[in-house]
Amino acid sequence: MVVERQSAKKLTRRTSKGLITMAISLVILLAFSWALAPSSVSGGAVSGMLQFGAVLAIVGLGQMLVVQQGGVDLSIPGAVSLAIVIVSHEPDGDNNKLFAAVLLAFAYALGAGILNGLMVGRLGLNPIIATLGMNALLFGAVLGISGGTPRTTVDLLRGIGGGATFGLPNSLYFAIAALILVSLITKRTVAGRRFEVVGANSFAGKAMGLRVRTHQGLAYVWAQLLYCTAGITLAGITAQPTAYMGNAYLLPSVAVVVLGGTSLLGGRGFPVATVVAAIFLGQLDQFVLALGVPFAVRTLVQAAALAIGVAIYTVNWAKVRARFAARTDAASAAVQS
Amino acid sequence: MKIAKKSMMLAVAVAASALALTGCATTASTSTSTGAAVAGAPAWCGPNKVTVGLVDGYGGNSWRLVTTAAGADEVKKCANVTSYLYADGQGDTQKAISDINGMVAKGVNALIVFADAGKAILPALQSAHTAGVVTVPYRVNPGGTPGTDYDAFIGADFTTDGTNWANEIKAQFPDGGNILFLSGPAGNSQGNDEGTAMKKVLTDAKYNFIGEQPYEVTNWDPAKTQQVLTADIAKYPKIDVIVSDFGPSLVGALPEFTKAGRQIPSLVTSDGNVLGCFYKDNKAANPAMNLFTVATGNDNVRLAVQYAIAKASGGTIPTESIFKAPVFENSRTQQPNDVQCEKSLPGDIYLSAQMPAADQAALLKK
Repeated sequence: MVVERQSAKKLTRRTSKGLITMAISLVILLAFSWALAPSSVSGGAVSGMLQFGAVLAIVGLGQMLVVQQGGVDLSIPGAVSLAIVIVSHEPDGDNNKLFAAVLLAFAYALGAGILNGLMVGRLGLNPIIATLGMNALLFGAVLGISGGTPRTTVDLLRGIGGGATFGLPNSLYFAIAALILVSLITKRTVAGRRFEVVGANSFAGKAMGLRVRTHQGLAYVWAQLLYCTAGITLAGITAQPTAYMGNAYLLPSVAVVVLGGTSLLGGRGFPVATVVAAIFLGQLDQFVLALGVPFAVRTLVQAAALAIGVAIYTVNWAKVRARFAARTDAASAAVQS
Repeated sequence: MKIAKKSMMLAVAVAASALALTGCATTASTSTSTGAAVAGAPAWCGPNKVTVGLVDGYGGNSWRLVTTAAGADEVKKCANVTSYLYADGQGDTQKAISDINGMVAKGVNALIVFADAGKAILPALQSAHTAGVVTVPYRVNPGGTPGTDYDAFIGADFTTDGTNWANEIKAQFPDGGNILFLSGPAGNSQGNDEGTAMKKVLTDAKYNFIGEQPYEVTNWDPAKTQQVLTADIAKYPKIDVIVSDFGPSLVGALPEFTKAGRQIPSLVTSDGNVLGCFYKDNKAANPAMNLFTVATGNDNVRLAVQYAIAKASGGTIPTESIFKAPVFENSRTQQPNDVQCEKSLPGDIYLSAQMPAADQAALLKK
């Protein structure tokens, strides 16, 4: 009995509650999709969904790192848009200039991340205020570079970002690479373990002699690099991106982090669950599209799924069950007497 | 910032050239008493000197860039314009309103307004009109009554687009077919007008409109278009023709057909260089694909400029007050044009516009 419970405990420690919940939800959603809108699980639809799901996954991983430190990053729209604008404007139709443009995009991301990190980690600014300001700054850069006008991406990027290898969209490989990188660094390296400790309890971290502010600041740098990767991929996928494409990723990025089970108060991060949550949201989109319900209903279904997802973690279900049990007990007692 | 500087320089250049031209005109008229200098000017350009202002609600895409330049180009044709001013509302309604008020304060005689914010800017238009400025909103209807709230509304006739598309579909598919119609945000009046016009022509039950009705919502966003199209490709095994009121946004999404192992169907839409080139690159592999486009309507602004200047300067007011976009390309009949593609120029230019392609490309350069 004791052994059984221990092994069960071990299992849940290895696979987080978030991952189990998201995996089960995804399976249920796929079953629903298959039964109600079979076209949404056909090959083309799934690979189309994975393309965009992968971009959301990469953005979500970045947001997760920030959330792990008890922060939140509102500069995602600007960061993603800036990466898109740089890689589509700088080469201006010339494949040979793409590499330099990608480097430039990462340089900008690094700068934005360091600035965010300094503001939040060093100066102790509220992350909401700091990153909101950074977002405005990044959009300033977007307008400065592009004047708000989009440009078609070069063929090379279109092939890399929008292409497929072994039947799977390339963007998915980028997401998997980002996932492996984030998982390995946070779970298997000393620095990564310290990063999680600082996120879970910065006071304890400080008492242990860890560089708390550096860890908190660095989260924003890693996050910016991930947003930049996502932006470049998105530019390749759409081929004809607009200058404000990042706007669509702010809310979903927080959603996938929460759905994945990472606490908004900071602490442990769940990269795999975050990626599965991104795929879940992507498939949910595809499912309601394929159902053919009106646009308004589509939005409602997505909102409901989010509300349920958040409720799973935040509502104290044991208490709810206890209250219901107490009521039914009282009711049956009343009937008996 | 750069754009503002550029448009400022443009405005200065236009003003300078206008001044130079008026200078020539005065010398010419003094030498020849008949006033032959204005003989070359268009009829809408009257005898009185005027200051012209153009207010854009949102100047932030290549289409607007070309449209704004087309407006400035039209102003240039009239030597009596002493000064030309431009303001970009940057998608901010309050800024658009203060831009309009600012233009009135600067003493413009004719004011052309892209009424992006719709009814929200009607009071500003009314006060400009009351102040005696010839006020001409165009493209987006600001509500109110022409003649009392402002001088005239130079709208675009999206019904004509719908009718042109429907007639082409009828000619291409006499035996009927499945039509997928994509438009912008839910409830936008442009999509509604186009859809209604198409259904008036395609009354026969053999023409089947598939997908969400009256149109699939894409927000004119390429990523959203791609997602919607992916879902529809999976859902409908037979799509004969795709209708879209923003052709260039299809380019990223159409390869989804190839990925699904299907032919790209016939396209009935609006023009854009990137779309024309896409067609040329992919026609061989997709013989079923035809391309039919109507002009994207950059020249709508020209009609508005003509109307405003004519009324303010005492010229001949154009008889038309609605811009009807002409048919531009037809790969099937090659009438009035075969599909156009300028490979060496950026994809974001509109070959249907009056402005030469190279000039548009120069605008896009930083």
